[in-house]
Amino acid sequence: MDRWCNLLRMRLRSWMRRKRVETELDRELRYHLERQVEENLAAGISAGEARLAALRMFGGVSQVQEECREMRRTQYVENLWQDLRYAVRMLGKSPVFTVVVVLTLALSIGANSAIFSVIDGVLLKPLPYPRAERLARVFYRSKNFAKFPVNPWDFLDFRARNRSFESFAIYTRSDIQLSGVGEPVKLSAFRISAGYFTVLGVAPARGREFDFVEERPGNGNVVILSDRLWRRQFGAATDILGRKIVLDAKPYTVVGVMPPGVDHPGNAYNSVAYGDTVDAWYPFEFEGNPGQRGPHYLEGIGRLKPGVTVTQAAADFNTIMADLATHYPGDQGWTIYMVPLYQEIVGPVHRLLLVLLGAVGLVLLIACVNTANLLLARATARQREIAVRAALGAGRWRLVRQMLAESLLMAILGGGLGALLASAGVRALVAFLPAGFPRLAAIHVNGLVFGFTALITLATGLFFGLVPALQSSRTDLQQGLREGGRGATGTGRQTRLRSALVVGEVSLACVLLAGAGVMLRSFLNLLHTDAGFQPLHVLTARVSLPDTTYKTKDAIARFYKTLLDGLSTLPGVQAAGAGTDLPWTGYDDNLGGFTIEGKQEPPNESFHARYHAATPDYFRAIGIPLVRGRYFTDRDIKGAPRALIVNQAMARRYWPNEDPVGWRIDFFDDKPKDSDWYTIVGVVGDVKDKPQNSAAEPAFWWPIPQQPWGFGDMSVVLRSASDPVRLTGHLREAVRGLDPSLAVADVRLLDQVAAESFSTPRISLFLVGLFAALALSLAAIGIYGVISYSVSQRMHEFGMRVALGASSWDVIRLVMGQSVALTAIGVTLGLGTTLALAGILDSMLYGVSAKDPLTLICVAATAVATAAMACYPSARRATSADPVAALRAE
Amino acid sequence: MSKPSDLIQGTLDLLILKTLALEPMHGWAIAKRIQQVSQEVLQVTQGALYPALHRLEQQGWLRAEWRASETGREAKFYRLTKAGRVQLDKELEQWRRLSHAVVQVVGEA
Repeated sequence: MDRWCNLLRMRLRSWMRRKRVETELDRELRYHLERQVEENLAAGISAGEARLAALRMFGGVSQVQEECREMRRTQYVENLWQDLRYAVRMLGKSPVFTVVVVLTLALSIGANSAIFSVIDGVLLKPLPYPRAERLARVFYRSKNFAKFPVNPWDFLDFRARNRSFESFAIYTRSDIQLSGVGEPVKLSAFRISAGYFTVLGVAPARGREFDFVEERPGNGNVVILSDRLWRRQFGAATDILGRKIVLDAKPYTVVGVMPPGVDHPGNAYNSVAYGDTVDAWYPFEFEGNPGQRGPHYLEGIGRLKPGVTVTQAAADFNTIMADLATHYPGDQGWTIYMVPLYQEIVGPVHRLLLVLLGAVGLVLLIACVNTANLLLARATARQREIAVRAALGAGRWRLVRQMLAESLLMAILGGGLGALLASAGVRALVAFLPAGFPRLAAIHVNGLVFGFTALITLATGLFFGLVPALQSSRTDLQQGLREGGRGATGTGRQTRLRSALVVGEVSLACVLLAGAGVMLRSFLNLLHTDAGFQPLHVLTARVSLPDTTYKTKDAIARFYKTLLDGLSTLPGVQAAGAGTDLPWTGYDDNLGGFTIEGKQEPPNESFHARYHAATPDYFRAIGIPLVRGRYFTDRDIKGAPRALIVNQAMARRYWPNEDPVGWRIDFFDDKPKDSDWYTIVGVVGDVKDKPQNSAAEPAFWWPIPQQPWGFGDMSVVLRSASDPVRLTGHLREAVRGLDPSLAVADVRLLDQVAAESFSTPRISLFLVGLFAALALSLAAIGIYGVISYSVSQRMHEFGMRVALGASSWDVIRLVMGQSVALTAIGVTLGLGTTLALAGILDSMLYGVSAKDPLTLICVAATAVATAAMACYPSARRATSADPVAALRAE
Repeated sequence: MSKPSDLIQGTLDLLILKTLALEPMHGWAIAKRIQQVSQEVLQVTQGALYPALHRLEQQGWLRAEWRASETGREAKFYRLTKAGRVQLDKELEQWRRLSHAVVQVVGEA
């Protein structure tokens, strides 16, 4: 204990009173030296000789001083301080070098932190539900449909009979209009089964969730509000429970209010963004005939019992499914597809994010290699300084430490700047990502991100600093001092090392370039493929009719006809239509089990297609071309022969070599009367199912007056000759004129909808392209550095060559040749790596392979051209070698 | 830069502590004393001596003070502390065991 106190006291003294300790050390050693001189004099050696002899005997004074300091240990702190001050001075001496290095580091560290924030928010953060790893989504699967929604009556059987779930629920998007509190507003709402919130593990903050009684037809007039809606529309009234509010013109009793920040678990059909996006929930009522099982449009979600895996649960469900299939023909050919909720949410972007992290990691690696390269070059130029410091008693470790201090200082500057860039970058990134991107709201720059930044900053500093530091501290003292006077020479080893680093940089840059190249081609393919509709100059908005006021199909049809007739007379409007669905907004509902007259359903499979309803001008307004037959007309009304329009995909699937026009389909009747049949009157072009997916799914449309159900929730579509935004006011006015209680919601331009669908591939292309450009510039800097250094070493040789008759062109070729050779090795390695990694990208590409030869050739050409440009200045300089000076030196 | 010392580090510490056990001395005198007593066999170089002194001082076994030397000039005198004496005993004991063991092995008793 005593000893430690003493040690601490001594160290503090040596540190706090450095000056004094240093002088004392000096005096102490000088005393010794003087005594030695006196002794030498006494031995009869001459005065001058005596002193020299004493010094010789003593050895290096400064070495001994350094060692004494070493014994005092305080030099760790002291040296660090000294090293840092020295580093600042040295960096200040070569501002261009410092700025280049710090900026490249800032960009690459910033990009890494930004991408890491996204990964942290989307992939790393646990889902915002307790024990979220036990949540699983439930879908159907068949030969034709990889992921298909659940139907209501099957759900009830599964809920009653399964032994794998603690709780199992369904939910389905069912927006609803709130009126009676200010302007009517459309609420983003879901119909849910009892126990939905139990599955999620979130309890209402007030009130309760729905019970089984409320699932029965006629009992569902109760509602649970989100905290947001409760505050915004009801002023956070504490007496809200039990209050009656008007939804779709019907009274609903508020039975619960959720706590703030209840995250929507995502839905595949008519999807709503993740996060706190849902306004209200009301009960799903199980209506209709249990024998018919009902249409597939429900999203299943369940909480696994502890210890039960998703595979086991799926097996359990499939046993029940097989049993159901023996009772209900419509259930034949289906299996259950179960997937953990986490995977369902982040699955679509998982690979993309890892690819981005990989790309940005490569950039950081290149930045490190590049900086190491620049540092090596500088170390060569500083050989004399290093030799002098070594001669003055600096140990090798001390030299390494000094160099590391410089690189760490640059890394810390770069990292600090990078952290700033990252926080700005993340905000920009989130703004550019589409609203449907998984867990967008969870992306923040937080402590973990800053920790990550700090870590990579330190790792970067050590990584790029250590090699050059170790290299240059190996300086041969004598040679360094002797040759230091006339520009230092690099040893063969250093030159080789630097060339290897450049080859590495070029190859990594090629990997990134190739990635960006194929992503660009894929993106262009996406843009150029025919979407199947014409999104330009089209305004869309959702106008929903509550079924209490618009009780009959006639009333619904009449409303939309009056509205659209009025709108189509507006100046500039080319076509005005309405339909149940818009492309690429998640319209995926399918209807199965209908009858095609004269066709047999394939074994274990029923007829399936997506169902929609539309007005006559819907197709013209949205720009879907007619392929055969006709569009709907105003004569396709109630009582008239029933008409149907199918798309080409449906025509191809069920009439592979025939014209479907004139065939008849019946949807719901066991023994259809003549008037029950719908006759196909037209075939329209396919709309790609998803922007990234060239396939179109079979689909058909009913005319609104002849639709089997009372769909009163339509998207109005207005095609205009010019900018359609100005039509918004007219649309609102027209709707208000017909029924002031209606809300006009989701007003958007169709090209916005289309652009949003492309925003994920667009932003990933932008990022990878940015990273590739950064990588290429870094590689160019690296090549420039190596070649220009090599040229300065060989000026003498070039002079000789010119003297011996070489032309400028010969010299340029010589220099360029060296650069191209290095690049060629790098390109070969890079393309090899690209081919090896191609599998990772392939699934993200559209219409192009990751091994696309054209792209690879372009990458090689770009790399070589960049290398040639990077070394051209040096090559020019080589031609200016003076033959006379060279000869004279010989 | 390397330590040009023929002596094992521990041995040098022992010699310094033992020498200082008689009276406080400065570096020069310590080197001279060791040289004389060992009849010129042990040559302590400055490169080893001063770092060792500083280390021992840091350990708290020596304490240093400036006072006039025999030549009249100021010199840095080191003196053994109480902890230093304990350390000296420890090191002596170790040394005895070690040298005894070596003698046993070499077989000259």
